[in-house]
Amino acid sequence: MEKRLIKKDTLAGIAKKMAGDFLVWAPVKKEDNVLFEPMGKDGEPFFAYLNSKNAPKNVFFPHTETLMKYTRTPKGMVFSSEVNRADQSVLFGVRPCDAHSFVLLDKLFDQEKYKDAYYIEKRKSTTVIALACVKPPYATCFCTSVDGEPVSADGADILLTDIGGDYLVEFITKKGEKLASYFGDAKADAAADARKAEIAAQAKAAVTSKIPAHEVKPILDVNFDNPFWNTIHGKCLACGTCTYMCPTCHCFDISDEVKGADGIRLRSWDSCMFPLFTKETSGHNPRPSQKERWRQRTMHKFKYYVDMFGAISCVGCGRCVMSCPVNIDIRKVVEDISKL
Amino acid sequence: MQNPYIPYPVVVDKIITEVDTKDIKTFRFKFVNPEDEQKYAYIPGQFGELSIYGKGESPIGIASSPTQKGYVEFTVQKAGVVTSALHEMEEGEMMGIRGPLGNSWPLQFLEGKNIVIVGGGFAFTTLRSLINYMLHEDNRKRFGNITVIYGARNPGLLLYKDELTEWGKRTDLNLNVTVDKGDATWKGREGFVPAVCKEVAPSKENAVAVICGPPVMIRFTLPVFFELGFSKENIITSLEMRMKCGIGKCGRCNVGSKYVCKDGPVFSLAELDKLTPEY
Repeated sequence: MEKRLIKKDTLAGIAKKMAGDFLVWAPVKKEDNVLFEPMGKDGEPFFAYLNSKNAPKNVFFPHTETLMKYTRTPKGMVFSSEVNRADQSVLFGVRPCDAHSFVLLDKLFDQEKYKDAYYIEKRKSTTVIALACVKPPYATCFCTSVDGEPVSADGADILLTDIGGDYLVEFITKKGEKLASYFGDAKADAAADARKAEIAAQAKAAVTSKIPAHEVKPILDVNFDNPFWNTIHGKCLACGTCTYMCPTCHCFDISDEVKGADGIRLRSWDSCMFPLFTKETSGHNPRPSQKERWRQRTMHKFKYYVDMFGAISCVGCGRCVMSCPVNIDIRKVVEDISKL
Repeated sequence: MQNPYIPYPVVVDKIITEVDTKDIKTFRFKFVNPEDEQKYAYIPGQFGELSIYGKGESPIGIASSPTQKGYVEFTVQKAGVVTSALHEMEEGEMMGIRGPLGNSWPLQFLEGKNIVIVGGGFAFTTLRSLINYMLHEDNRKRFGNITVIYGARNPGLLLYKDELTEWGKRTDLNLNVTVDKGDATWKGREGFVPAVCKEVAPSKENAVAVICGPPVMIRFTLPVFFELGFSKENIITSLEMRMKCGIGKCGRCNVGSKYVCKDGPVFSLAELDKLTPEY
């Protein structure tokens, strides 16, 4: 695939130009945080960021999303319409760990038998431009332990790597190539490639936080009843922040809202950390305490997802580690499991 | 691409109050668009999401058999928001159903075998689907002896009373209906399901037991079948969990690496043994 070079200071201009033609999601400064938001023509992207506070999964899987609309008739509420599910979009400048999360979410939402049209259509109509981490942004980053790398095109249509004064622009997919005209005409030479390889190797080596993510699968296979599970959840507040921040957590609720004669059915993010998540009408709850919920979350990421889809459902972004109000650290949990 | 979240529109065609307590009713739905009936081709043991716009959805086992054409039936206990709203509905009203969802009773596996059906209380619904399917003239010869053991707490709580009477007249079905405690008019059998299973003592030879009921019934019935020599591969049951999407995405009904909505709800005991005991 083709490669080009652009001057570093032209990147914001390119994003703005695209924003005139598409819906562009870009990192935007919001008070103390950086979030991915539709930037609009007059918006100012902020590419000198470490990582966004929230995972950008909401671009494909919004916090709350209308599934369908319905209306009241004399014979009861009846279906009235589906909703427009996707606009031509560009997700501009996501970190490789988050781009990797899309590959993992695809496995769930885009299965052979049941296709989730809402997710798939947004995914198909969105071009993902990843911005490589030439320096791992945080001490809590552990992407290299979970099949990721700080300079990686996994899940991206275009990869941008800062190689000094320029960004190396790599068009990874056909979808990415379609946006080539926005990136000038300076072809990248072999020296740029070599420089990128060097930077990628340095970045990879700089990710020093490591967890034995692959080693724990066979241990989890046989330790569902281990007393170890009593030791994690003691201080957990069941706030659900870890699942909310997580790029790969995908659990959702479906609910109905009616206003006057019209209503909508919507889905919104839910969390396995919440007691009501599995509580049945009878009162029975198969996961009655935070212990079972923590076991579920850990198992889902490092065992169940591997069983189901052959991949660990964690990208090592470290958001759950940084955001947990009581400092429960998934890296320590995995480390401890590896010693069982 | 069929959107699996959008229900098929249906009309409530008929409502049958099944029990004296009036909190279990069978709802017969007809498809508003006749072509949807084809799309809703189901197998006994599958379930659907009953969808009432403005209230929500509830996953319920399909109680009719695919051999019953022109409609689909669900027997529903009034319990939560959606099922309470459903119990308030009247014939002629419109709502939706999604599905059919889940795997099913393993018909191919059951074919050519003697079938022992054990049901308790309200969990008899998808077993009724299976029984009616097997008894249909096109299918009956594909199965061996059929033994049914069905129990309820009292006579007023037995489901499908007319059908039980009809089945009782057949010679190609060994029907054993029992109640925990009879009343003045009850002339049938009294006793708990496990005890009746012991008494009827179905042979394990070329036989499969399909067991569905409340946990306490299952707990005491399984040892009876183990004693009769049934292997775990030849005991089949169906699980229930809280569900939303019904298609293995919303993430709440997994037992280990299996989603009950998509990979179940039907499992053999041998399969359940391989899963985590979290249901």
